[in-house]
Amino acid sequence: MKQFLYLIVIAIFFSSCEENISLDLPREDPRVVVDGYVETGLPPYVLLSRSSSYFDPINPGALNSFAESGAFVTINDGVKTVQLIELDTVVNGISLKGFYAALDSVTKLPTMFGEEGRTYQLTIITKDNQQLSSTAKLQPHIALDSTWFKVQENLDSLGLAWAHLTDPDTIGNYYRWMAKRITKDDLFLAPLGSAFEDKFINGQSFDFNALRGQIPNSTKPDDIKEEAGLFKKGDTIIVKFCAVDRGTFEFWRDAETQISNNGSPFAVPSNIKSNITGGLGVFATYSPAYDTIIAQ
Amino acid sequence: MKKLIALFVIHFLLFNQIVLAQAPTLSKITVSGYISDASTGERMIGAAVYFKEIEKAVSCNAYGFYSMSVAPGTYTIVFSYVGFVTNEAKYTLTKNQSINIELKPRVIETQEVIVSAQKQERNIQSTEMSKIEVGIDQIKALPALMGEVDVLKAIQLLPGVKSAGEGNSGFYVRGGGPDQNLILLDEAVVYNASHLFGFFSVFNSDAIKNVSLTKGGMPAQYGGRLSSVLDISMKDGNNKEVHGEGGIGYIASRFTLEGPIIKDKASFIVSGRRTFIDLLLREPFVPANSRIAGNSYYFFDLNGKINYTISNKDRLYLSCYLGKDVFNFKSPETGFQVKIPWGNATAAFRWNHLFNEKLFVNNSLIFTNYNFEFGAAQQQFDFKIFSGIRDYSLKSDFNWYPTVLHNVKFGMNYIYHRFTPTNVSARSGDVQFDLGGVKRYYAHDLAVYINDDWEIDDQWKVSGGLRFSMFEHVGPFTRYIQDPLNTNNIIDSVSYKTGDKVKMYAKVEPRFNVRYQINNRSSIKASFTQNYQYIHLASFGSVSLPTDVWVPSTDKVQPQFSTQYALGYFKNLKDNTFETSVEAYYKTMENLIEYREGATPDQDVNNNADNNFVFGKGDSYGAEFFIKKNQGKLTGWVGYTLSYTNRQFAEINYGKEFPAKYDRRHDCSIVLNYQKSKKWTFGAVWVYSTGDALTLPSQKYFASTTPPVSVGANGEINLNNNFNVLSLYQARNSFRQKAYHRLDISATYHGKKHKHYEGSWVFSIYNVYSRKNPYFIYFNVDGNSVDGNLSVQAKQVSLFGLIPSVTYNFKF
Repeated sequence: MKQFLYLIVIAIFFSSCEENISLDLPREDPRVVVDGYVETGLPPYVLLSRSSSYFDPINPGALNSFAESGAFVTINDGVKTVQLIELDTVVNGISLKGFYAALDSVTKLPTMFGEEGRTYQLTIITKDNQQLSSTAKLQPHIALDSTWFKVQENLDSLGLAWAHLTDPDTIGNYYRWMAKRITKDDLFLAPLGSAFEDKFINGQSFDFNALRGQIPNSTKPDDIKEEAGLFKKGDTIIVKFCAVDRGTFEFWRDAETQISNNGSPFAVPSNIKSNITGGLGVFATYSPAYDTIIAQ
Repeated sequence: MKKLIALFVIHFLLFNQIVLAQAPTLSKITVSGYISDASTGERMIGAAVYFKEIEKAVSCNAYGFYSMSVAPGTYTIVFSYVGFVTNEAKYTLTKNQSINIELKPRVIETQEVIVSAQKQERNIQSTEMSKIEVGIDQIKALPALMGEVDVLKAIQLLPGVKSAGEGNSGFYVRGGGPDQNLILLDEAVVYNASHLFGFFSVFNSDAIKNVSLTKGGMPAQYGGRLSSVLDISMKDGNNKEVHGEGGIGYIASRFTLEGPIIKDKASFIVSGRRTFIDLLLREPFVPANSRIAGNSYYFFDLNGKINYTISNKDRLYLSCYLGKDVFNFKSPETGFQVKIPWGNATAAFRWNHLFNEKLFVNNSLIFTNYNFEFGAAQQQFDFKIFSGIRDYSLKSDFNWYPTVLHNVKFGMNYIYHRFTPTNVSARSGDVQFDLGGVKRYYAHDLAVYINDDWEIDDQWKVSGGLRFSMFEHVGPFTRYIQDPLNTNNIIDSVSYKTGDKVKMYAKVEPRFNVRYQINNRSSIKASFTQNYQYIHLASFGSVSLPTDVWVPSTDKVQPQFSTQYALGYFKNLKDNTFETSVEAYYKTMENLIEYREGATPDQDVNNNADNNFVFGKGDSYGAEFFIKKNQGKLTGWVGYTLSYTNRQFAEINYGKEFPAKYDRRHDCSIVLNYQKSKKWTFGAVWVYSTGDALTLPSQKYFASTTPPVSVGANGEINLNNNFNVLSLYQARNSFRQKAYHRLDISATYHGKKHKHYEGSWVFSIYNVYSRKNPYFIYFNVDGNSVDGNLSVQAKQVSLFGLIPSVTYNFKF
């Protein structure tokens, strides 16, 4: 709504102009950031980093200086506690620190798997002895009743993904939608507005649609031209519809709001609600149900 | 409710007492009457009546009425008004007498040195301070953005008044919020005074007679807001002959017609204004299959007023206003359609009655309504938000002039409010989402007041008043009770039936002004005022928008309360050619509201909006310097304000005090008008202000949009780049934007006057030196972190560069 008003203003007053400016922002101590995941059937993993001054550029040499290496990370699933080991990961030819997973240090086999209904407790002690913790529950999955593709009117072959959802009768269900085009996308991607709750739709059965998500700041041709945000006839789309817990939902609801508000004169800048005690970020749980759509 | 009735009774008893007290006193006689414009019959607000021999003056009230009690004798009485030929004559007064005067407009001749006949010393002599009147002609002579003459933008040029932003007609007075201004159009409250998200005000200058702004020392007849009263009077309509005027501009075109219904007795005025860009965005100019087809925007204003003079003692007025904005948007890609209509409607029926020479009353019956709607549709989805406020009110205002030394005002004001805060409905196909029923709040709002302006001697004059106000929130109402641990959960609710009391407040508001006159040319004034405000504007954004909702004081929301102290020195120079003043003020505000950090409109659904509010306090202080030149070919003013305003909320900014968004240290305006000849008039405005306070992120951090790990064909774990850059905000409003400054100029060419027609061209340039003033700042993120080439660049968006405009105005 606010972005929308902002668009109107810009559209009407085309005499507006923009210029690069430099801002002198106060420097503050970096804080530890958690990007943690528990997903059904997968070993839990956590990416640890530090926040940085807003305008500090990140170049290849500096990347690892933001990664939080050497931390002691454990997860308890109500039955046992395992330590997550820091992996040596090479991403685009650069060795990246700060990636911890519930794998055996020798065999590299998983020591824990996400299981629906369990509550996970994350504890982190950093090298400089900061303590962080979080708790998250892996919800039972909720499958969509059906999924399909529909071409938008006026557009030849482009359209949205559609789904029919029956929300369970009890209030307090939270969802996140993601999808992936076979051969075109490496990952499941989420469009803005992917996180929603059943506050207004509790117990209802209804249709909804979703845009196609993209990698942030993507410069791929299909993300910047007319195909941006849309699926195309011929795509094979795998829908990963996740039941999430409240902490995950609140983090993504706020993060998506912040991303879409960026600088809008109509928005109040606000921080993202985090479920991490002692740091920033989110310890997220995803309980997916999969569907496949052949777009035609 | 019983208390309300009791108050009514007290009010009318008081009134009867005063009427009974009207037994004639033989020692004094009373002169009273109306002053009006000889060319149009318009009653003149604030015209001066001066008794030379005793050096006493009175000014006309809002209906052009004056009254003065003097000992019998012969007096030279001077009737005057800025821009009109002064009427001076000797009167031998032996008994109560009614003198109605018509003043002729002064025709300005070229080369003629304009001698001021009137002794305008009202600013020195009155107890009023922090009050400024601006004539509509003066406003029309200022350069205007895109040629649209704008009352609200003109008052922003006064000291102590700040603009809400580039091109915005919203204003802040002495550090108060946008909801703390009472904006009245012929006594009807206008809740949303702007079009196009703030860029233009709803007041069509062709229909307006007078504008006055009170920013402090508020007399007791005004209440309900903490910061200011902007009182706008519509023209009554020419009761001599039919005239029309209009204009064709960039943004909108206007047309006004006024004239007598019964000559000298009854007249009318109708005035309309509308934008026309939407008419150019449809066929035949734009083909139906074009990408922009289906997008449109327009606004219009319609003002109408009729009045009927039944006798010298009774006059009736009916004034109406209707204004609307409609925005349509259609996206061909997603089939997404939006329609946003919003606007105000007001109607005021007024009856002026003169009981006798000393007692004047105006009774008003007023309706006002503001609605906002946002409708979105996409294929089978429908989504609608609506909000609004509707008031019915009844008002009686008495002016009583018992002796030459006293001017007593008393009266009452009752309002029945109906608030409709954000209501949402949505459906997908046949499935209606559960967004709760329409939720409304109802409230009784009553005030009685009395105020006496008492001239103790030549030096001392005081104005003291009391306003007793009551506000009762009544049912039907459902109070939702939140789980204190998880405010998202509603654990209980309490229902109230229609008319049941939910919460009542009763408060006393003292108002006190004092003047010490040093000599004919200078005086010192001081004021102390306390105000309560029972209605609040809740805004999700950082600027005021049509989406903001009005909410009443409830059991959760206490009335806002302010105390203001002001001290001023007033001096006129060079035979009143220059008026100067310095005022200092200190104001505290309590029970201010804001939405909780991170609150979103959907949290109002199935809940009470006020459950998402947080409460805090504020203060503001500063000094205002003002020099105004009223006479001569060159007129105008220079205003400078030094000010501070802060807020403190326990649940915002970690409980620490922070500057309000519109805390601007320095604010300066220079306004000039130069009447070169009969044909040419020039105007210039220069403004400067400290940049807005702004919250910017201090740090950035990363989170993967979706789980970033994928398993490769050989079972290897791949970590993918899927990082979003997120922002961490620290201290609120701790950053300052660049200073704002701008020069506008205008030239008006008055064409040859024909017998029945005259035209003029107004050429104006907004932002002459094309200053790139900050409108907002956003951040552009390039590259990505995993490739290791991520950079963040701040970009400042400026809205208006140099904008020339031409408007053609005509009169017949």
